[in-house]
Amino acid sequence: MTPGLRRLYVPRSAKVDANRAGEPTSVDGVAVEAVREQWVVEDRWWTPQPLGRRYFELALADGRNLVVFRSTLSGCWYQQRG
Amino acid sequence: MEVACVLIPEPALADPVEAGELTERLLHRLERIGAAVESERPGEAFFTLDGLRGLYGGERAGVLAAARRAVELEVRIGVAPTRFAAHAAAQRETIVPPLAAGNFLAGLPVSTLVGRLELPPREAGSLIETLRRLGVETLGALAALPAGRVADRFGPSGLLALRLARGEDSPLRPRRPHEEMAEEVELPEGAAGGQLEHALRLLIARLVAAPQRKGRTVLGLRLGALLCGGGSWSVDQGLGRPTASAQTLRAVLGPRLEALPGPAASLRLRALGLGPPVGDQLELSVHGSEHRRRRLGEAIREVRAAQGGDSLLTIVPLDSASRFPERWAMLAPSPDR
Repeated sequence: MTPGLRRLYVPRSAKVDANRAGEPTSVDGVAVEAVREQWVVEDRWWTPQPLGRRYFELALADGRNLVVFRSTLSGCWYQQRG
Repeated sequence: MEVACVLIPEPALADPVEAGELTERLLHRLERIGAAVESERPGEAFFTLDGLRGLYGGERAGVLAAARRAVELEVRIGVAPTRFAAHAAAQRETIVPPLAAGNFLAGLPVSTLVGRLELPPREAGSLIETLRRLGVETLGALAALPAGRVADRFGPSGLLALRLARGEDSPLRPRRPHEEMAEEVELPEGAAGGQLEHALRLLIARLVAAPQRKGRTVLGLRLGALLCGGGSWSVDQGLGRPTASAQTLRAVLGPRLEALPGPAASLRLRALGLGPPVGDQLELSVHGSEHRRRRLGEAIREVRAAQGGDSLLTIVPLDSASRFPERWAMLAPSPDR
């Protein structure tokens, strides 16, 4: 990253439990009330650093709406504003 | 007199644009230790040690250590009494004391002259080859030839070669030191079209906001890019009138992006010279809101002076159509106006 610049909406690690279907059941210990929407984004598959994400828009038990995604390459979970 | 030569190794100079950037960085960093540097070719810098000794412990070693620390690049350094000898010394990473310069030069092959004769490589090669055919293999052998005979056979280039071989060289012609003002933005993936314009807007905003500008105008700019497919591109843009207006710089540089030969991995912008302060300059256009913008600019400068350069940031859109939110926008230092 060029010095002095900051990216916005950078993904942050999240602790997510998921069911067998791969859908989140809790985020950072808060239960998922509903999966409102989910989608998959794949990009840069033609480069050595491809990106693949399965996004979930969630309604949590504490009332928050949250977007998380699981990297289809690393298997790690992240939350992201935007 | 002792001349130091600092060389960036050849492999780092393969790309001409990158070589130019590296050289500029090298010169600027040497100037920061007080060196008056000369550089006529990419990858090399010369400066005299004499005036710097007092600053760095009175010894040659102190100056060289300071130079090596300052450049922060992998370099070769040599010292000798003349520019030409120092260049040869740097290639061998050695120090040639004044009294040993004659012997040092005498033992060098005549091929050492390649690149130092102000001749195109082919003609220089031809001159060297002719010297060899005549049995002149070393600079010592060349130095022993009478000047008249060398002039008859090789003309002015031969005489220059003879002077260099004898340890005679013109004095250094250091450039006028100036503060480096350059900005670079890495592009997350091969960027083209609108993304590039956003990146350029960001670079201009950063350049105009750079504290080292100290209110001065810009006289010329170099816009460059590293290309995704390898290689690089750059273009120099003079400004008919010195300016520090981001709007004017965008208007001037924007069309130059069309000449970019392919998707870019990074975009660079360097000020090639600084002019008088911005207060003396005219804007291309003055809108009704100009007065308000000027007052806002003053306020921004005051906040930045009190709270630091990064205390005010502006959101710069990058690629609003991206499916990855982190590529939509960035925060960059806010320009004064």
